[in-house]
Order: sequence, then C-alpha cells, then structure tokens
Amino acid sequence: MENVLSILFCLSLFYVVVTSRVKAYVTVLRFQGIILSVLLVIPFIYNFSIFGIILPATLLLVKVFLIPGYINKVILDLDIKRRIEPPIQQMIFLPLVIATMIIVFLASSILSKITELDVIPFASGFSAIIIGIYLIIFRRKLIIHVCGFLILENGIFLFGTAVASELPMMIELGTLLDIFVVVFLMGIALNRIRGTFAGFEATHLGRLKD
Amino acid sequence: MGLTFLQGIISIIVIMALAPLFAGMVNKQKAILTGRIGAPVLQPYYELIRLFKKETINAGTSSFISRISPLINLVSMIVAAAMLPVGFWKPIISFNGDIILFAYILGLARFFQILAAMDIGSSFEGMGAAREATFALFAEPIFFFTIGSISFISGYNSLFDIYHSIQLNNVSYEVFIIVCSISVFMLAVTECSRMPVDDPNTHLELTMIHEVMILDNSGIDLFLYQYSSYIKLFIYALLEISFFYPFSQKSNSVGILIFITGSVALTFVLGIVETITSRYRMKNIPQYLLFATAIGILNLLIYTFTK
Amino acid sequence: MLEFSIFILIPLASAGLCYLIKNLRVQYAISLFVSTIHLGLSLAVFLGLHHTLLPTFFGVDSLSKFFILILSNVYFWVVLVSYSYLKRPVMPRAEEGKRFYFMLLNFYLAANSAAMLSSHFGMYWVAAEATTLSVAPLIYFYRNEESLEAMWKYLFLVSIGIAFAFIGILLLTLSAKGTSLAGGQLFFWEFIRKAGQLNPIWLKASFVFIFVGLSTKIGIAPMHSGDIDATSNAPSPIAALMSGSLRLTALLGVLRIFQIIRPTSSFEFAKTLLIIGALLSLFVAFVFMFRVNNYKRLLAYSSVEHLGLISLGLGIGGLAFVGALYHAIYNSITKVVLFLMAGNIHSRFKSREVDKIRSVLNVLPKTGWLFILAFMAISGIPPLGIFFSEIKIFEGILFSDKPYLLAVVMFFLLFIFVNMGKIIFTMLYKKGDDDKLQSGVEKFELTHFVAIVLLILLVAIAVAAPDKVNLNIIDIAKDFGVKL
Repeated sequence: MENVLSILFCLSLFYVVVTSRVKAYVTVLRFQGIILSVLLVIPFIYNFSIFGIILPATLLLVKVFLIPGYINKVILDLDIKRRIEPPIQQMIFLPLVIATMIIVFLASSILSKITELDVIPFASGFSAIIIGIYLIIFRRKLIIHVCGFLILENGIFLFGTAVASELPMMIELGTLLDIFVVVFLMGIALNRIRGTFAGFEATHLGRLKD
Repeated sequence: MGLTFLQGIISIIVIMALAPLFAGMVNKQKAILTGRIGAPVLQPYYELIRLFKKETINAGTSSFISRISPLINLVSMIVAAAMLPVGFWKPIISFNGDIILFAYILGLARFFQILAAMDIGSSFEGMGAAREATFALFAEPIFFFTIGSISFISGYNSLFDIYHSIQLNNVSYEVFIIVCSISVFMLAVTECSRMPVDDPNTHLELTMIHEVMILDNSGIDLFLYQYSSYIKLFIYALLEISFFYPFSQKSNSVGILIFITGSVALTFVLGIVETITSRYRMKNIPQYLLFATAIGILNLLIYTFTK
Repeated sequence: MLEFSIFILIPLASAGLCYLIKNLRVQYAISLFVSTIHLGLSLAVFLGLHHTLLPTFFGVDSLSKFFILILSNVYFWVVLVSYSYLKRPVMPRAEEGKRFYFMLLNFYLAANSAAMLSSHFGMYWVAAEATTLSVAPLIYFYRNEESLEAMWKYLFLVSIGIAFAFIGILLLTLSAKGTSLAGGQLFFWEFIRKAGQLNPIWLKASFVFIFVGLSTKIGIAPMHSGDIDATSNAPSPIAALMSGSLRLTALLGVLRIFQIIRPTSSFEFAKTLLIIGALLSLFVAFVFMFRVNNYKRLLAYSSVEHLGLISLGLGIGGLAFVGALYHAIYNSITKVVLFLMAGNIHSRFKSREVDKIRSVLNVLPKTGWLFILAFMAISGIPPLGIFFSEIKIFEGILFSDKPYLLAVVMFFLLFIFVNMGKIIFTMLYKKGDDDKLQSGVEKFELTHFVAIVLLILLVAIAVAAPDKVNLNIIDIAKDFGVKL
C-alpha cells in the first residue's frame, strides 16, 4: 500500500513539472498532503487508537487545508499572475526530472542491498526533494519557490516513512508547526515584497551584492 | 483450432462493425454534456454510406501513392485489430513479439498517410504531415514504455499473453494498471487526434493535424480514411479496456459483459475529458506527450526495482 | 522543573506578555529580568553550583553547559542595550517593528535554549528551526528593501538548509537499522555510546547532510550567502546576537553528529569535510575582504572567517580543538562589541557604505576608540582573548599530521587582517569633506559601557584563565576523545 501511494506521489511530481498554472501547484500540494496523511493512518486501521490518530489528523489539517488555503489566499490577495511565464528550459526540465528519477531509483536499489529499505517510498521521497530544489532553481516566481520548498518538505516526510523512523509525536507536531510558520512568514514577506518591489520574481531580488 | 480461428474472425468483424458506433457514442456524449442534442449515435454509419456512394476525384498532381495509401491504411488497421483480444477470445494473429508488429503496423499506416499528404503537393497538407510526424515522434516512446513495461513485468511479449498475465487481486498490480491506463489513455488521445491534442470537430487550418491531411480526398478514398480512423480509435479503446478484464476467471459471458461495459464507460470518459479540456497550444503538445512518456518510464522504474 | 521553566518556559511566557503589553519600557523591563535570571542560572549551572534535572528530550552535559553560557551572556548584553537602541530615531515605517522586537527576542531565547539543551535530534531540529523563525522578522526591522530581501533570502536558504539537516537525521536512523539502536529514540547519548555499531555509509551520508544543511546557518562557505545578507542588514543588536550565538547553535548540531561519528571508521572523512569547509570559509573571507564596500558586511565576513577557524580547530583535533572552543567564547564577545559600535556609527552617519564614513574618531571619539580596540581583539592582538585561542589553534595545526595547513591559514589571515585594517582605519582616520558632522563631543551611552565591560571580560578570561572554564573545556575535549 505504501508503494501505491508513493507512485501516486511521483505522478503528482510529474504534473507539477509540466503544469504552467500557479493554481495547479496548490492542488498538487493538497493531493500530496492527503497521500501523506493516508500513509500515516494505515498502521492504525487494524488497531485503532485515539492517540495515534492525532498526528494524521493534524497533518491533514495543516498540509491539506491550512497551508494550501493560505497560499491560495496569498495568490488571490496579491493578484499574482496565474500563469507561469514559460521559461526556456521547459522542454529540458521534464527530461531532466525523468533522468534524475532514474538515477535516484537506481541508486536507492543499489543502496537497498546494503540496508533493508523500501525502495519505492525512499526513492519517491528523495526525488521529491530534488524536484523541489529544481523548482526553486529553475522557476522565477517566488510563490513557486514556496511551493517547491513545501514539495521538498513533503518529500522528506515520505522519505521519513520509508526509513521507518518514528519520531515522538510531540516532535512531529513541532515540525509541522515550524513548517506552517515558515510558510506564514514567507506569505507575509511576499505581501511586503509587493509593496516594496515591482514584482514577484526572483530577478527583482538583486540588491544585496558585493 | 477451428473454434479459436472462428472466434478470432468474429472478433475482427465485431471490431470493424462497432468502431463507427463507438465514435458516434463519444460524439453523442459530448453533445449531451455541452447541452446540445447532437447527431444520432449512428451518424458515423450514415456518413460512411454517404461517402461510399460518392465519386473519387484525385488532385491532378498526385501520383499512385495517393491512390494506394487509403487502402493500405485500412488494411493495416484491420491487421492491427486482428491482434487484439475481444473478451477472452484469442485473436487470429498472436505470436511472440507481436507488440512490435502492432506498433509498426500502425506506424506503416501513418507513414503512408503522411506520404500521401505530401504527394498532393498542397502546402496545407504538407504542414499537417509535418505536425503528424513530429507528434508521432513523441508518441511512439509512450507506447513502448507502457506496453513494454507490462511485457517486461509479465515476461511475455505477445499482447494476448500480456493481458492474460494481469492479476487484479494483487494491490501493486492494480495501481500499476491504473498508471498504465493513464498513459495509454493519453496515447490514445494523441494518436486518434482527440481533444487536448487536436480537435476533430474544427476545420481551422492553424491547428489541424489529422484533418488537414485528408483535405484533398473524396469519395471512396475519404471513406477509407474515415473508416480506418474510426477503427484506430476503437483499437486504442480496446487497448485500454483490456487492462480491466478479470483475467483470473475465464468465462466468456463475463468477458463479453466487460467488453461492452468497458467500451461504454470509455465513451463516457472520453466525452467528459473532451468537454472539460480545451485544446493545448501547439508548442505545449510535445510536453504533454513527454508527460505520458514520463509515466511510462515511472512504471518501468517501479517494477524494475520491486521485483 | 525550575531550571526548565527558567531556561525555556519563562522566556516563552514573557514573549506572550510582550505581545500583550504595548508599553515598550515594560517590555524591556520584563525581558531584562528574564535575561538576568537566565544568565544567573546558566552561570550557576556552569559553575556546578546547581544540578539540573530536565524533562525528556532535554539534558545538560559539558557541551551544552558551555554553549548556553555563551548564549545567555550575549543575550543579556544585547537585551541591555536594546532599549536605548530602540529609542533612536528611525524611519517612520520601522516604528511598527518595535512592537514585536522584545517578543521575538524572548521567543528567540526560548527556542535557542531549547536547541542547546536538547538531548534528542528531533527536538534539536524543531528548536533550531524555531530560532530561524524568530530571527527572520527581526532582520526585517528597518522595513526597507534591503532588509526585506535579506529576510527572504535568509528565511529561504536556512529553511532549506535545516530541511537538509532533517534528511541527515533521518539517514542517521537508517544507519541504526539492524543494530540495538533500531526502533529506539534519537537521543544523542545513546548514539554516542553505541556509535561503533552504526552503518558507516549512512553515517557518512548523514554527516554530509547535517553539516551542509546547518552550514547555511553557521555561515560556512559555500553556503554562507544568506547569512551574510542577514547579518549585514539586521539592526546591530540582532546582528550581534546572530554572530555571537545563533551561529553557535547551529554549530552545536554539527558537533553532536561529530561526536557520534568520532569512534567510527568514518571519523577521518568527517574531519576532512570540516577542514575543507573551514578553508573555503577562510578563502571566501579572504577574497571578499578585498572588495567589500559595506562595513557591516565586512563584519559578517569576519564572522564567516572566525566560524571557519573554529571548525578548522574542531577538524584538526588535539590542542586545536581546545583552542576552537575558546575561540567560540572570544569571538562571540568580540562580535557583540563590534556590531554595537558599528550600530553607533550607522545611526550617526546613516549609511553602511565605507566611502561615506570619514573621520569617525573626530565625530564619535568614544565609539571610534572602542571600535579600534574591538578590531584589534578580532584580529588577534594580545592580550585580547582571540590571540590566545588562535595561538592554540595554530599550535594544534602545527603538531597535527597536517602542519602545511598552517601556512595557508596564516596567508589568509594576514590578508584578511590587512584588508580589514585598511577599511577600518580609512573609516576612522581619513578626513571627510563634510563639515556638518564635525561636532566634537559624544555622549557616553549604554552601548559604550557594555562595550567596555565586554572588552574587560575578554581580557579577564584570557589573562586570568578561570579554572572552571578550562576544566569544562577539558571535559568537552574528553567527551570528544581528543588526546591532549
């Protein structure tokens, strides 16, 4: 079942790469949030406990409703252009992503011979991390950078389930809170950037240099 | 032997007979979803009959290519159709490695169509041919990555055997099938010039791909082209439907039932997709196709590393 | 429970109070009180007068004792000068920033104490991310374009860096698979005790991720850019706080994983990585000192240089390790003085460009002289602290297996000293053509008092060499298995 969800996760990554609409990123974030919370719920299907359901529920709340909702609000408030200006690398980007994924899958299947690990969630999580970084590097819109960062975080989460690390619930909740506050601050910063700079693209941020 | 052969013959006849109906149903669904009454379901048959009655006129500049191309098109489609299972019946042509033949017999048809379009010497049709060739370049990997990955997993390389190796009781297999069917669907949309790639209903020279190539054909030639394009659509539909047979229980009545419900469901899906999407800009199409290829590659990756 | 509340809960509560109370003076009083008891307690803990009992996920060992003392020392002085700093006239836009200033400072204290006292990797991560979150809005204090850009870059780069550190933590879990640590909690001490069982490949990967990720926050090249922008555009007390304590918080995380990796076969790899990072930082500081045109950026590059020296000492081991820990104290104290004086210059000249600042010694004599003293301190002139720690680091390098590194380091340091000196002396001595500013006497302000006290402290620690500090550093060195 983890494999199934990871594959869906990978599909959402491909979609993020080809889409040219800002709204689609928010939808993908929601979709990934749902996948991650389902992943967390799976162990509790057979032995249900109220205590264990807190974390998936919070995850669902934060990653599916709060953060995407907030980003949506920022997009609406700031009247960010809905389309991503097609960058030159668009045709190169998808093959690059595919090549990266192949390498990651190959590498993780080699590594799985050393230590026992679930190749598919591991590799999907790691690809999401790399694709998040690609989005930050190759896209110019700052709001897409925020989405790329969130995809990276989702990737780390999936990666965490793949290596079966069980952090205490307090700490998991702490990380969720941290991520939410980061996004919140970034939203405020974007708001200020509108008032201060002419636009929302990374090219406008070039004042600090030596 | 005799019975299997008979079943195969019946399959081809069924495919050839039902193909226009399938197209008609898609068009009807689409009309209903957009709030129109639409042409009757049997409209494609009427049109074929009408075309059949008309006289063929060829352009003065055309050579023998233009005359043989429509026939080659139809024959290749029929041969391709002969490789696909209807229900649980074994198709006539089924041998090891027939997926390659399947891909290239469709390629042959496309090749002749492109050749014929250029043969006429009209600049419009040359443009359409160029587009068709370009998109075919991107569409071919989708087929090989998707069908190839199933073949790789099942260890068979005949379409019939591949489909029969699918077991729906395995959860991973199920997702795999879903993912595969997404990319086959995208392939079908491209190859049959349906909505997000090409709009079959418009005659706008700027955007046409398939329609523009048969602009100069008439009468029997046009009939052959139209009929083979209906069959092509139905072939891809079958390719898609075949994923969903419960192959573990081999009963003919179940097979027929799934075949019918699957086809009808697919017309719904196509109708809905064509209603809610708009045609992509020309330069975005390769990206769309690359996306489908990526899904195919993902399939291959996943199943290479989980085995 | 008492110490837990003083270290973490009371700062949190006072952050809440500062949010509710609008009066700046009351906020200041509360914060000063909190910082005083924090300093008192961490001093008591450091001197061994008080034995602490902290809840799960927290614990005190020689390393965290040492670092929390540095934190609360820097924090105390920063809070002390903050009120007078806020009283200075600023752009009207920046007025709203003042309202949240003390709240964020208190929150920073809570988060940073939690990071330093944590005994669990997860807890450390959460707290370290929280320090970034509390500092980011403070960087945007002036509400201008540069500070906005600096905040955005800092928040973004450091968040990604910290995310990488989290991957490193996950890889650490992976390295424990199949050992007795598997399925357990990520407590530092458990990992340190059973480090030998860990899978070396994953352990190496984990070290790489944690080191590279946290070096965005430490300011080790090549990940230093966000840090430089942030330090140079933040208000001076915040810059002092960042240089003096926040960088060390991140260094602590690297030290923890370094401690785990020590008994394993991957130790050499980790050492090499630290040394490479350190040399790169020195190189970056060396290069940029030639072309820097902003005295706050100059100081930020100086921070990069000194954190580079610290990680060099940690990487070399032996005596250099001890020197590096001393260097951490001295650097944090000196940086506070430097940034406070730079703040005084900035509020007088209204510019950060070196070219616009002339004859500081005439216009602001007290600030100018203290700035010179602090500059001497940071360049390692005896008897000001850094001289002694640098000597220890150099001696350590000389007697290690890589003595040739000393030549490289000396070369870099020489040019850094020359270029920094050139810029600072131009600012201080060169006559400006603007006569408006030549108005003689400067009032003796709180910042000057703080600078004097800190400089005396710097000399006192170096010359008197208190036993407690020495013993504690020896303890840390023992924990790290350093042979002295």
